[in-house]
Amino acid sequence: MNLMVMEKETKECAASSAGTVRLPQAPMFFRSFFIQAGWNYERFQNIGFVFALLPALRKIYPDPEQLKAAVLRHLSIFNTQPYMANFVLGNVARMEADAAALPGDSPQRRNLPGVKQALASSFASIGDRIFWGRLKPMTTQVCLLVWALGGFSGWLFTGMSGAAPVWLLLAGPLAGILAYSAVAVTLRWRGLGKGYACGGTANCGLDSMNWQRLIRGLSAAGFALSIALAVLSFGMLAGVNYGVCSGGALLAKLSVCLGVLVLHRVTRAFGRSSFFAAGVLLAVSVLLFSVLKLAPFNLYL
Amino acid sequence: MTTVLRTLLSSALAGLLGLDAVAAGQFLFSRPAFVGPLLGWLNGCPLEGARLGILLEMLYIDIIPVGGVVPPNGTAAAAVGVLAHSAAGLAPSLAFFIGAGAGAAYSPVESWLRTSRSAWNPLILGQVAAGDLNISRWVARALLMENAALAGYCACWVALAAALAAAPGVLALYPGTDFAYSLMPWLGLSGLYFRFRTQAHKK
Repeated sequence: MNLMVMEKETKECAASSAGTVRLPQAPMFFRSFFIQAGWNYERFQNIGFVFALLPALRKIYPDPEQLKAAVLRHLSIFNTQPYMANFVLGNVARMEADAAALPGDSPQRRNLPGVKQALASSFASIGDRIFWGRLKPMTTQVCLLVWALGGFSGWLFTGMSGAAPVWLLLAGPLAGILAYSAVAVTLRWRGLGKGYACGGTANCGLDSMNWQRLIRGLSAAGFALSIALAVLSFGMLAGVNYGVCSGGALLAKLSVCLGVLVLHRVTRAFGRSSFFAAGVLLAVSVLLFSVLKLAPFNLYL
Repeated sequence: MTTVLRTLLSSALAGLLGLDAVAAGQFLFSRPAFVGPLLGWLNGCPLEGARLGILLEMLYIDIIPVGGVVPPNGTAAAAVGVLAHSAAGLAPSLAFFIGAGAGAAYSPVESWLRTSRSAWNPLILGQVAAGDLNISRWVARALLMENAALAGYCACWVALAAALAAAPGVLALYPGTDFAYSLMPWLGLSGLYFRFRTQAHKK
């Protein structure tokens, strides 16, 4: 409710404000890549935020005293998802430009911290789900798929010797990085422009895309790729062992791999990460094969 | 001598790539999947580097760096893993687990760096209040500190790995670590599957 009132007030004032300053988009965009550089527990991204906003503030406030006051204002707590921060940066730049055109303590200036905080929280939630929750794991899937297409399956068969061209080994992760960065960089650039264009409203940029639909689409695509990779991996395991070992031995090998999946699921159910599961596997393996010296069990022949 | 120099240069490169994780860019050049094959290639073991890197990457999928969470450092994990194999001479399987441990153990270092930067706030406020608006120097200082901390950390871990490689009885560990290492792809695949399965079934 407060946000709606805030937005109404701000819109009214934005309409009455004088012409806005042209946004120094390129320097702000470049500096936004360092938004987390000074991350600290007291005020989070405040140093990086001011560093990125400074080119705009310098244009908006030619008067050194006003500029100083604006910089001090923005050195307060700020935290959001780094790729989405530019929506907030653009918005704040616009609000500062509008506020500078109005005399005294305008609603623009009063509402600025609230709008900034509201947008930071909203974009953090969206950005975390898109980038950390979906796109980043998908870069791993892209890497594995590129390697599979290039005929490299050495990541699955750790005990087997083999060779692969260096270009292919680097092309896998680079393909994921390029795809990911294309989205991230585009969103950073467009977010800055969009934020400045609709600045001053508490929903600025939030309606620029159907985020929910995008998130659902990425989840479905990631899930499909996960299944494809699992099928491919179990197929390769069976293919490598087929005809070399007996049916019982092959079944035992597949069961061990399935057992790892079950162990991971159980540890997750108890709120533990993959690191814990890896530690359990290491401890059990060392106990069985190094301490008790059981005969080695090879997954791959 | 060449090995020592190469290790130091690789650690410095890891420190540089590590900046990408949080401090600068976030293009994912700091991810183990890239750091592994790159450092592996530079140190003469691209295949093992790629293996170590992607398996560490898959292990790290479980951890999402939201809010103020300090996740294990993937760059440190991959760099230490690759160098523990190529420079210290450990088997890839043991190098992998040492790398994973090094990555996890970096979190307190990162927390300390973040805490120490909190003390900068009053200094910056004072500087700005005095009319000096040069924020770039603080950004540069943060980048240098992060770079130096990670590079030094990786080099120390490789030295520890070299000491371990020279310890008697380390060979006896390999049957166990080899088997556990062969299971890591499946643990990683499980991580990938359940990450998206949960999301795909959310309303």
